[in-house]
Amino acid sequence: MSKISPLSNSHELGIHGNCKNKDQAKLLAIREITNIKIYQLSKFKKSNFDINNFSLDSYKLPTESGLSTGNENLRIQWQAPNVWMILSHNNNIIQEIERQCEDDDFAITDLSHSRAILEVKGKDALNIIKKGSPLNLNNFRKNNCANSVYHGITVSIDMVNDDPITFNIMALRSFAGSFHHAITDASLEFGFNAI
Amino acid sequence: MLEIKCPYCGNRSQNEFAYGGDATVKRPELNTEVSDQDWDNFVYYRKNPRGNHLELWHHISGCRQWFKVLRNTATHDIIQTMEMKENP
Ligand SMILES: [Zn+2]
Repeated sequence: MSKISPLSNSHELGIHGNCKNKDQAKLLAIREITNIKIYQLSKFKKSNFDINNFSLDSYKLPTESGLSTGNENLRIQWQAPNVWMILSHNNNIIQEIERQCEDDDFAITDLSHSRAILEVKGKDALNIIKKGSPLNLNNFRKNNCANSVYHGITVSIDMVNDDPITFNIMALRSFAGSFHHAITDASLEFGFNAI
Repeated sequence: MLEIKCPYCGNRSQNEFAYGGDATVKRPELNTEVSDQDWDNFVYYRKNPRGNHLELWHHISGCRQWFKVLRNTATHDIIQTMEMKENP
């Protein structure tokens, strides 16, 4: 069985845009993140579960608004009060989540194939987001995340690294084509390497 | 363009929000006799004041929570935002 990623038809690999006389190693890099499991964890109002007792690879659920946590293989994002998004490259992560979550405490929704995710890496990554989103990024740091809009498309923005600056931007799969166009169009003036 | 302070996410652009109507309208009580006039008032009639107005807003492209906004309809000043259970 072959898996077709949301951007497999849009994401054309190679160098694009204004990259004349630029060091290719320092170019903005844009990559589609594929083969990732995405689960939404939503704690019920009536539940008394202490979320400090939940952890994945020793990462706890962020309790404050706008925070995310994790590493290269796992991201846990605060989405709303008592709602988190878990993204993982571990295909068996659901078993670990279900082991810790009782049915009476959480609603778990598998969103794995419903999102398109782009990783934007490089010193101009901040400018790419500023060109399309009204989000105030002045105090945006590593492990900050926010839901916002990008050229009218609802997106989740997660800053996974600050050196080099790396953002994961996630949109609904049905918007994948326009979302990809919006991001790459904003990147053309800097030149980018689609990897 | 307004900047609205979501009680959960902080200051965000109006682009991320959807207006949800007058927050002072109360649905008639369940299981009681409701006159046509009361239904009419609930469904259609609004005060549309010039000045401070309590509104519902939805952070639709953010945390997807509903909340209340006290806004001046003449100056567009947002005086206060609060969670649904709170009052100005
Ligand atoms: Zn919000």
